[in-house]
Amino acid sequence: MDDYDKTCLESALVGVCNIVQQEWGGAIPCQVVLVTDGCLGIGRGSLRHSLATHSQRGESNRFPLPFPFPSKLYIMCMANLEELQSTDSLDCLERLIDLNNGEGQIFTIDGPLCLKNVQSMFGKLIDLAYTPFHAVLKCGHLTADVQVFPRPEPFVVDEEIDPIPKVINTDLEIVGFIDIADISSPPVLSRHLVLPIALNKEGDEVGTGITDDNEDENSANQIAGKIPNFCVLLHGSLKVEGMVAIVQLGPEWHGMLYSQADSKKKSNLMMSLFEPGPEPLPWLGKMAQLGPISDAKENPYGEDDNKSPFPLQPKNKRSYAQNVTVWIKPSGLQTDVQKILRNARKLPEKTQTFYKELNRLRKAALAFGFLDLLKGVADMLERECTLLPDTAHPDAAFQLTHAAQQLKLASTGTSEYAGYEHNITPLHTDFSGSSTERM
Amino acid sequence: MKIFSESHKTVFVVDHCPYMAESCRQHVEFDMLVKNRTQGIIPLAPISKSLWTCSVESSMEYCRIMYDIFPFKKLVNFIVSDSGAHVLNSWTQEDQNLQELMAALAAVGPPNPRADPECCSILHGLVAAVETLCKITEYQHEARTLLMENAERVGNRGRIICITNAKSDSHVRMLEDCVQETIHEHNKLAANSDHLMQIQKCELVLIHTYAVGEDSLVSDRPKKEEEQHANTSANYDVELLHHKDAHVDFLKSGDTHIGGSSREGSFKETITLKWCTPRTNNIELHYCTGAYRISPVDVNSRPSSCLTNFLLNGRSVLLEQPRKSGSKVISHMLSSHGGEIFLHVLSSSRSILEDPPSISEGCGGRVTDYRITDFGEFMRENRLTPFLDPRYKIDGSLEIPLERAKDQLEKHTRYWPMIISQTTIFNMQAVVPLASVIVKESLTEEDVLNCQKTIYNLVDMERKNDPLPISTVGTRGKGPKRDEQYRIMWNELETLVRAHINNSEKHQRVLECLMACRSKPPEEEERKKRGRKREDKEDKSEKAVKDYEQEKSWQDSERLKGILERGKEELAEAEIIKDSPDSPEPPNKKPLVEMDETPPIEKSKGPVSLLSLWSNRINTANSRKHQEFAGRLNSVNNRAELYQHLKEENGMETTENGKASRQ
Repeated sequence: MDDYDKTCLESALVGVCNIVQQEWGGAIPCQVVLVTDGCLGIGRGSLRHSLATHSQRGESNRFPLPFPFPSKLYIMCMANLEELQSTDSLDCLERLIDLNNGEGQIFTIDGPLCLKNVQSMFGKLIDLAYTPFHAVLKCGHLTADVQVFPRPEPFVVDEEIDPIPKVINTDLEIVGFIDIADISSPPVLSRHLVLPIALNKEGDEVGTGITDDNEDENSANQIAGKIPNFCVLLHGSLKVEGMVAIVQLGPEWHGMLYSQADSKKKSNLMMSLFEPGPEPLPWLGKMAQLGPISDAKENPYGEDDNKSPFPLQPKNKRSYAQNVTVWIKPSGLQTDVQKILRNARKLPEKTQTFYKELNRLRKAALAFGFLDLLKGVADMLERECTLLPDTAHPDAAFQLTHAAQQLKLASTGTSEYAGYEHNITPLHTDFSGSSTERM
Repeated sequence: MKIFSESHKTVFVVDHCPYMAESCRQHVEFDMLVKNRTQGIIPLAPISKSLWTCSVESSMEYCRIMYDIFPFKKLVNFIVSDSGAHVLNSWTQEDQNLQELMAALAAVGPPNPRADPECCSILHGLVAAVETLCKITEYQHEARTLLMENAERVGNRGRIICITNAKSDSHVRMLEDCVQETIHEHNKLAANSDHLMQIQKCELVLIHTYAVGEDSLVSDRPKKEEEQHANTSANYDVELLHHKDAHVDFLKSGDTHIGGSSREGSFKETITLKWCTPRTNNIELHYCTGAYRISPVDVNSRPSSCLTNFLLNGRSVLLEQPRKSGSKVISHMLSSHGGEIFLHVLSSSRSILEDPPSISEGCGGRVTDYRITDFGEFMRENRLTPFLDPRYKIDGSLEIPLERAKDQLEKHTRYWPMIISQTTIFNMQAVVPLASVIVKESLTEEDVLNCQKTIYNLVDMERKNDPLPISTVGTRGKGPKRDEQYRIMWNELETLVRAHINNSEKHQRVLECLMACRSKPPEEEERKKRGRKREDKEDKSEKAVKDYEQEKSWQDSERLKGILERGKEELAEAEIIKDSPDSPEPPNKKPLVEMDETPPIEKSKGPVSLLSLWSNRINTANSRKHQEFAGRLNSVNNRAELYQHLKEENGMETTENGKASRQ
């Protein structure tokens, strides 16, 4: 960001906007702290000017608010309320918060401008925006006090049905474990470090166990490092086993704990939050329906740990997995007709495939009301019959004639022959007994 | 996000009047193979689709894509309109699939060109469409039931896609007015009904079809975008459709080369992503910020099916996104889960958690003897599996599998020392048969038997004076004596079993067996020890229990204490001595069973000498060379009783080895 020698809040906000987006993209929440004396600048580039021209912006000079990332804008005014209210400064600053969809807050000095009052103002900001998130990680009776960093953001599931933002519990309860291959890179809202902390009897944090070089042997951190901690045990086993722990964050809200390696030496316990809801990951099914393997008749992971109950299969297959018929482009239709023709020339060996493809075409043609196609393919099969070489198996002619006849009947559209569920079956001939081809 | 937006309900109204039977006048060659085979054969004349066929194909294609991308919560109702309205399906989830719709369409058949056009009207279908939009869906019903007094928050919006042949602008206006009026009327009806909902918003999409010219039926695809990913050659592009959020970061960043504003721009925007050789395997956990189902634009084309089959077979494909700056970044991953293909959005921006402190630097980081392998085993035992069929508890209420999973974790962790030096029993192979079943909710007779066998086995070990894996970490000198080691081990085993005695009567039996069998030091020794200093006596397992209690939340520890307390009371009643320095001296100390004449074991004299090490080795080596004399094998303190069978034959009991008097 360049230096500017005059108050120009818009440029500053544009600069912040660009830096945050370049570095962290549009999904990471960011707190923007604007420290100002409450003067808004003069002339072009002043906040008053920016706001006055706000409605006339195009795409090239878009006003930086609302920020294109989840954000909170905190405006720290080095002035007290009375001073600000004497001009329209406060109104303009409030407009800024409004433009950021109401995300943010204005702080002013209580009393005269002095170091103590400024400190107290920033103290309020710290309390509001920078308090660490403390929680208790639980796995049955095994527990650890932890700090979750960064603070998990409240989440709105559906602005209409459930407009109240959900916040995560301070009790993070492990409900079970799943292999990494089974959870397979699930989508998450956010991810957080889970840092074990040492609390004193009053529940105040006394240390993270992280030691400075100059600390002496018996410092609180040194001692905390030597007391067994569940987080370290959990992290070690998750890493070795290649598993994640499923953790309950609230009603119908879950996440996962796993080991995240930063480098070869450094690794950490991390927590990712799934989207709240009964079924955040389709391949796991409903979370409430996940239970202990000991309740199953036989171990779903196999006695040799060689299988898995995941992923769950959906009831209906997707189009790309079920051989649908699409004739929107002529090539789709041509391919399907050619398949029938190719098999027709290999009768009776390909009797089963021939009828399978024929029935697929028949069904689609009936659904699309494309009866002319049935007639056309019938004509084609009849012609194939006349083109059969002398060496052809006698059954081929019988099957082709039979198939053509059946298609013609279907093309009349009358209900007795054009039933969707009806299938054309191979003609039983004296020769067809030898046809043993199986699909 | 809104679940009940316009896209929750889509009604297709397709005109089935005689006009739609007309040809679209676009020819389809279908007789292709003949050309390159037989000379002199005239290919069959090309055929053409009717307007009806084109309309049905397009709407089915819309449904195909929608069911692929949004298989739930986005519903289609299909209506055919001629002299009346034919509603082909309902809003229920079972009716939402291509097969059902295709079968229903086949039953309707193509329009009859000889029907009286005056009798037919698209209005029948439009009125039915409004009617059907008022009908509540399963999802709406569920949400309303859940919200109770806030049920009015559940919205009812929808979209009508009408494919017809409009005669004029005024005809179009007439259709619009009719829909508006019908909505007005039906909203009045819905206001007084529990099964109907008023329509808050309805989007009407009229698609005008006519023959000749361009086929105008390619439906607009709101809220979806296309994506290509090229496999080096442009010939192998596979165009995929998916939810637009898969590119939300890309669009927000303004780093688009498509030009134009992403907001007002056309819905159909294509972003080209390049296949990169997968360097990934399933075991890797990617940081993924979204996963969206995909559908190929041209589902049956060779490149499409090549890609989808590759993915359905369990492989993943990483995709690169070119940036304006010319650099590339891996931004997406295609992967299938249970036969569904998802486009995963991978985070490609800088992490906010750069250079975090390693876990080894934090609390508990200096401890080096965590029971990592044991906890790994614990995790595998506590893996989850889906239970799709509802189960019921004894009282008839629905059992929630996830709650069962939590219950199991609670049971399995009642006594679970975190480090190796805090435990003896979990370092002993001999304890495994008991430790692995005692945590269960209920035991079989066989389980109880196995637990008893384990206990007898331990008694046997003690009698044979087998060494125990007692940690000497932190203790000065030689560590606890052998009998002290066994005392520690028995105490710990008791703690484990006692934590589960309320599970069932069979658990209680295991404890009874344990209490009957476990060794207790002779009275004098006990008294002597009491004289000694406390800290010398505090053993590891008791420490472990204390640590563990401190770590638990107070309710849990209270509960456990309750169990222990109750245990103590029961013990006192049974006049069994709780072998703990904290428990008061029982007034009349008399062992319940008199089997435990502690064998006069060789007092261990400090650390093992070189001589004894050597002779042990020689003895072991020698013992392998001959079969051991049966008497010595069964001997107690190297003394074997001879002619035992005589005693048995005489009906006398042998009390020598203590076993007979036990049961």
